[in-house]
Amino acid sequence: MTTTPKVMIETKDITKIVSTSEGELQILQPISFNVKAGESVAIVGASGSGKSTLLSLLAGLDQVSEGEILLDGAGLHSMDEEQRARLRGEKVGFIFQSFMLVQSLTAIENIMLPAEIAGLENAKQLGQEILEQVGLGHRGNHYPNQLSGGEQQRVAIARAFITKPKILFADEPTGNLDSANSEKVEKLLFDLNRDSDTTLVLVTHDPELASQCQRQLHMHAGELTEVFTESDDVSESQKQVG
Amino acid sequence: MNNALSLAWRLFKHEAKRGELTIILFAIVLSVASVLSLSLFSERLQSALTAKSADFIAADRLLDSNKPVDQAWIDRAIEEGLETTRQVYARSMVFGNEDMTLTSLRAADQGYPLKGTLKTSETPFGLGEETNYLPNKGEAWAESRLFQTLGIKIGDKIEVGDAEFILTRVITEVPDAGFSVFGGNPKVLINYSELESTNITGPGSRITYTYFFAGDKSDLEDYYDWLKPQLDREIHDWDSVEDDSSPIGRSVGRAEQYFLLASLLAIVLAAVSIAVAAQRYSQRHYDPVAIMKTLGASRKLVQRVYLYQISFITFFGIVLGTAAGLAIQQVVVSAIADTVDVSLDVWHWRPLIIAVFTGVTCAVLFSLYPLLKLFSVPPLRVLRRDLGAGMSSRIIQFGAMGSAILLLMWAYSQNIKISLILFVSGIALVCALLVVTFALIWVGRKLGQGKMGAWQLAWARIKRRAMDNSVQLISFSITIMLLLVVLVMRNDMVSQWRDQLPQGTPNYFLTNITQDKKDNLVEHFSASDVQPDGFYPVVRARFEAINDEKIRTAVSKEDENAQNRGRNGLGREANLTWTDVLAKGNKIVEGQWLDKWQPGDPYGVSIEERIAERLDIKMGDTLTFNIGSEVVDVEVTSVREVNWQTMQPNFFFVLQPQAMKEFTPTYITSFHLPTEQKSQVTELMRPFASVTLIDVDARINQVRDVVDQVSLAVEFILILVLVAGSLVLIAQVQASMDERQQELAILRTLGAKGGLIRASVVFEFLIIGVVAGGMAAVANELTLYLLQSQVFQMEGKMHWEYWLLAPTVGAVVVGLLGAAGCWRLLTLNTSQLLRKMV
Repeated sequence: MTTTPKVMIETKDITKIVSTSEGELQILQPISFNVKAGESVAIVGASGSGKSTLLSLLAGLDQVSEGEILLDGAGLHSMDEEQRARLRGEKVGFIFQSFMLVQSLTAIENIMLPAEIAGLENAKQLGQEILEQVGLGHRGNHYPNQLSGGEQQRVAIARAFITKPKILFADEPTGNLDSANSEKVEKLLFDLNRDSDTTLVLVTHDPELASQCQRQLHMHAGELTEVFTESDDVSESQKQVG
Repeated sequence: MNNALSLAWRLFKHEAKRGELTIILFAIVLSVASVLSLSLFSERLQSALTAKSADFIAADRLLDSNKPVDQAWIDRAIEEGLETTRQVYARSMVFGNEDMTLTSLRAADQGYPLKGTLKTSETPFGLGEETNYLPNKGEAWAESRLFQTLGIKIGDKIEVGDAEFILTRVITEVPDAGFSVFGGNPKVLINYSELESTNITGPGSRITYTYFFAGDKSDLEDYYDWLKPQLDREIHDWDSVEDDSSPIGRSVGRAEQYFLLASLLAIVLAAVSIAVAAQRYSQRHYDPVAIMKTLGASRKLVQRVYLYQISFITFFGIVLGTAAGLAIQQVVVSAIADTVDVSLDVWHWRPLIIAVFTGVTCAVLFSLYPLLKLFSVPPLRVLRRDLGAGMSSRIIQFGAMGSAILLLMWAYSQNIKISLILFVSGIALVCALLVVTFALIWVGRKLGQGKMGAWQLAWARIKRRAMDNSVQLISFSITIMLLLVVLVMRNDMVSQWRDQLPQGTPNYFLTNITQDKKDNLVEHFSASDVQPDGFYPVVRARFEAINDEKIRTAVSKEDENAQNRGRNGLGREANLTWTDVLAKGNKIVEGQWLDKWQPGDPYGVSIEERIAERLDIKMGDTLTFNIGSEVVDVEVTSVREVNWQTMQPNFFFVLQPQAMKEFTPTYITSFHLPTEQKSQVTELMRPFASVTLIDVDARINQVRDVVDQVSLAVEFILILVLVAGSLVLIAQVQASMDERQQELAILRTLGAKGGLIRASVVFEFLIIGVVAGGMAAVANELTLYLLQSQVFQMEGKMHWEYWLLAPTVGAVVVGLLGAAGCWRLLTLNTSQLLRKMV
């Protein structure tokens, strides 16, 4: 008997409308989709299609204009900034295109940061372990600007996994890297994701990276459609989400 | 809690190591160091100068009374730990050698003088030596003039009232002699215990009892607090060195105000530099805050981390600043130790408290708004880098900073006037600069177009960053303005002091020169290479009436106030002179000078402003003088302001020459004799026994000595402020250079030549420097006008030279600093530059 994995991210008719000097602009059309626990999902699309906006809403960095988002059952849409921050600290990890490391902290200290924020006692030990895992055990005391782009992103990955988050959001994780480094980082990301049974949502316009995810969602002009690969058992090649 | 602390400490440690806190730490160190060194130095200097000027009233405080005070008052002073002594002043006729003259009699008690030194010599006009005792019973000492007037010598007898005294020494200098050239009559000093035997203190006699007090400032203040309610303003007059209106008192008073001003400006400089640094600090931490928030940090945690960090910075800034301030102060004091006697032993807590308070207040108040902005940075910034802080009200920011500065200045100076002047000028400057900022945007739009040369790049950058640059422009302008204020104020003040007593100022005065002796005297003096100055005719007159109304009360009031130095010439007897040439240091404030007289007009008199006010004499009043048996009526045709600080004959009444043509005057003149030729004076005067010689050399030297010391001290204060200001400027340019880094990197990446980038940055800084310098010159003029007219009691004047100088220096200095900062960035290669930006 197989158990159905629980739903980790659930969205219901979420929209995002922003005010501009020329009036209101709807960046996201009503979107509804679910992501199951342990699943890896790539959101692909051209620049300006709204994929980063969607990511920011899913991660609770921004608020929806309408609709509901449930992260591991918790309603993000009804939380204030403080509650969302707590939720992020407890359940979410991040990887960014521009690494977003704190320049004045060393590699190990950057990795320890989420653990310290979460109040974990053994932050240093955890940090050292994961630093070894990403292959940078010898560079712990280096500052970000003393590391290459690939190394910085490995530090960022280590930082993302130190608190063993249930969900990992990655925004163009290889966007700033050359192909050799991209491969390393991708491998590391997916290996750690699999080992930790983390739900992964990543935004990319790199089809190669997207193809490594179990699901792909395509964003176009604020609308999201699911892309089905040949192995998927569906008659249509694409199916509207929402 | 502990997380926040350890995180804050780690951030602090690393950021300090990497030089990221340099600017804000440096700003706090600089402000604490400059405020501490300036106020400690000026406090020590003030003590030294106050001690010095105490010499000129022979005590720290004086109590004048026209009758003896209750012994309990003196006992109380002794209980408070004060030293006390007393002296009686009286005008008294002295008889000797079958002649008589009016003298200024002093009966001094044991301990006189408490401050300063009494100098006497064995022969008239001899060099005085310090004398630590008083005349014995039956002895009197007198000034050289008395010997000359009465034709007596040491060992002769004189009669004072009912008593007889033998003259045993010649007084050459008493500390509390006052500064009037014609300080009334020759002084005669006897012992206080002999006063009774003279019988001159009977009813109706005009006598001043002066009580001298010396001791710690706090003891003196406690004593005065106790004494004050018991004083009767009609009878008593409490005087301190600060109330001294002599040239010394004024110079020291003005210098003290200058030190206060300089310290206040140091506080403003500190505030400006911390404000700029705090803003920069806040902007640099937008990313870390966004990252922390994204990783789950609550707002509270972020607040704690940064409040701790600011506390660390403030703490270390204060510790380092205190050390630096003490070191600077020590260097300055040792540098001027030979000239100014500033004791390093005396420790003043106030400057340290002020410095720490300034450091903490500036750090907290000026980083408050940038920190609040920092706390409001949204986590979404990790995805959208263009997102900054949500708050953007500059008005609140400037308002908070302005109020904080005003409060600091007020708290420090306890002088709302001086604080408000600086504040109002600052606000005017800020408003004007905001207008200029908009003008710059407009000009930038016009000039920043077309082919991209260095000039266009510079203007385009100014236009684009105009609002961001407004803070920088304001800080540059305020810094330059403060430096100008301190510099120009010092120049005006020192030149005024020097003008007061230029080299060759007459140090001897001659009176009682009769018409027939006048030409002989000129000839005789010329033979000895001594050149007398102009001759003033003088006639002794009795001031009888104003508009036919007798003036008894006014005159007696004047007589009672024997301490009213500078006006001692008056009394019932007045010296009248006549001329139609307005003397140097005299200024007509009402009416017309005597040279406007036409035949047929009534004869005019020009009267000194303060005496006119006191005797309630108005323009057009008729004054009656009694000269011998003749009566002269003159009409007041002008009122003169007289600078009593010039050591030259000054008169309350100057009459129309025609009114006096019937009278035979004696003349007054003055001459300069170098101190080393002092011994020649007796020889020089030998043929003119009837001419009275007044020696003011000692007074002039005392004044010059103090003025030199004060000038030097002011000079050092100026240098301290200039150094502090320059460092603030460097820090500001440095801070703004970091902001330009990104643009430089992009231009570099796009292949722009180093020369073009450097020229564009230099142009940009030149433009900012010119504007800041120009605005500073305008604001400086306003501030100086207000300060000089309202606080320093000086005549305000325009300083046109600085209108050109300030923009030029502003452009050159800011331009050079910009070029230097840019050069440093351009030595890095593009990838280093890009990496530095991350």
